[in-house]
Amino acid sequence: MSLFSSKQDAPKTQAELLFEAGLRREFQFKASVAASWLVLLLFLVFLFSGQSLQIGSLTFKTIKIDSAFIMNEIDFIAAGLGETIRISILSIFLAMALALLAALGRLSTFPPIYALSTFYVSLIRGTPLYLQIFFFFLALPQLGIVLPGLIAGVLALGLNYGAYMSEIFRAGLASVGKGQREAAAALGMTPTQTMRRVVLPQALRFAIPPVGNEFIAMTKDSALVSATGFVHELMWRATKVGRAQFHNLEALIMAAIFYWVMTLGLSYLQGMIEKRLAKGDR
Amino acid sequence: MNPIVTISHLDKYFGRLHVLKNISLEVPEREVLCLIGRSGSGKSTLLRCINFLEDPSHGSIEVAGVKVTEENKGSSRRQLIHDVRLKTGMVFQEFNLFPHMTVLENVIEGPVIVKGMERKRAIELAESNLDRVGMLFKKDEYPMRLSGGQKQRVAIARALTMEPQVMLFDEPTSALDPELIGEVLSVMKKVAYEGMTMIVVTHEMGFARDVADRVIVMAEGELIEDSKPEALFSNPQDPRTKALIERYRSSETNA
Repeated sequence: MSLFSSKQDAPKTQAELLFEAGLRREFQFKASVAASWLVLLLFLVFLFSGQSLQIGSLTFKTIKIDSAFIMNEIDFIAAGLGETIRISILSIFLAMALALLAALGRLSTFPPIYALSTFYVSLIRGTPLYLQIFFFFLALPQLGIVLPGLIAGVLALGLNYGAYMSEIFRAGLASVGKGQREAAAALGMTPTQTMRRVVLPQALRFAIPPVGNEFIAMTKDSALVSATGFVHELMWRATKVGRAQFHNLEALIMAAIFYWVMTLGLSYLQGMIEKRLAKGDR
Repeated sequence: MNPIVTISHLDKYFGRLHVLKNISLEVPEREVLCLIGRSGSGKSTLLRCINFLEDPSHGSIEVAGVKVTEENKGSSRRQLIHDVRLKTGMVFQEFNLFPHMTVLENVIEGPVIVKGMERKRAIELAESNLDRVGMLFKKDEYPMRLSGGQKQRVAIARALTMEPQVMLFDEPTSALDPELIGEVLSVMKKVAYEGMTMIVVTHEMGFARDVADRVIVMAEGELIEDSKPEALFSNPQDPRTKALIERYRSSETNA
């Protein structure tokens, strides 16, 4: 044996040991949480399995759902997924455009523009989303304006989310320091060039994670559009077949699963995007 | 020699605060002028008035033949200010690089967007200036991966690439760790020896003494002393200048 011990059998330092213990604890916690999730999920499945459970003299019956109905109607309900996603994507783009305009309006020193922005935000935030959706479907036709279902739904959702998201863009614009504008001005950029080349790119990057959250919320709020009966998305389809065959339980469970899985997928995507942004190259 | 910057009867108020008091000053071509003085003396405000980051309350400023007076208002004033900014390059205390652009993109942004220069030519020019400040090897990095000294050298290259006639430095080393100050000062020295007209607001007395052609001391919004660095350092006139030099001397011997 040489006098020098190789790297592998060098005794670990105190700091390394502490660090490893920390990692182990963290892993154990995560594993326990995952196992508990699985138990809860299995319990939920069991609850709807229709099994009977005998404990002593007591008999517990779990909920029986009609699997034949599910098999028959799953395709019909699943066909609404595309429509749900389509409404959500169109609405989020409209909402982003409106939110950005509203946020820029809030920065304006020209009173009418500032007023327009605050008026819009106040009006929309002061009334229920449900009402706004009905307004576009039911109130406008009285004035002779009949919009296709999808358009009316997108307008209502986009206007609503735009008002709420204006805060996100306002924070994004505020996150760009005064020094950035001064550097641009010193180079001879006009205010428009400064906004387009320097301020907006940084503000939008700041806004990406919260906009992702809003998008996830919107996929679920798009269900409200079904109430008008003109957009055949997930929720509309679920309630239609559920009511017609008095199988609301099964129909709503199916829709819930679709929404949940969709939300999980989007949250995962959102997490990946946030991680990449946090790495901070850009 | 012809003055390239002429400031006459300049006044600046922040609300009721009179921060620049009737200042007149000429800076000849190729001169390196250092503005020194305690914080709050108005030296940064004076510098920022030259490219109109601060709008003067009274008086006129002429930079390389472009004169902006109180009579110029509205869009003609905006146009003149734009012309002045094309003749001046500015380096800030906090660097103010654009964090969403690489080093090279930062440097070509001005020429391409403001001057409408062809991208290829802008890149050539940018690369030669990055080389001048020793930062060409980092041209594809984002600013957040650079040290403070490296950021400031890129900021200098960015200003130089606009091919200004005067460079304005606003305390360019004040935000830097002591061990990074040297690399920035030596780049500034190089730019000075290449013949650039420079106006430098600084606390670096060593730089003022060794590189400046002329040093102006400011206090309470006025120019209290204006002389060659040798004269200033060996024989300061105003008691406030004496105190400033005194403090610098004692920090030198302590270091």
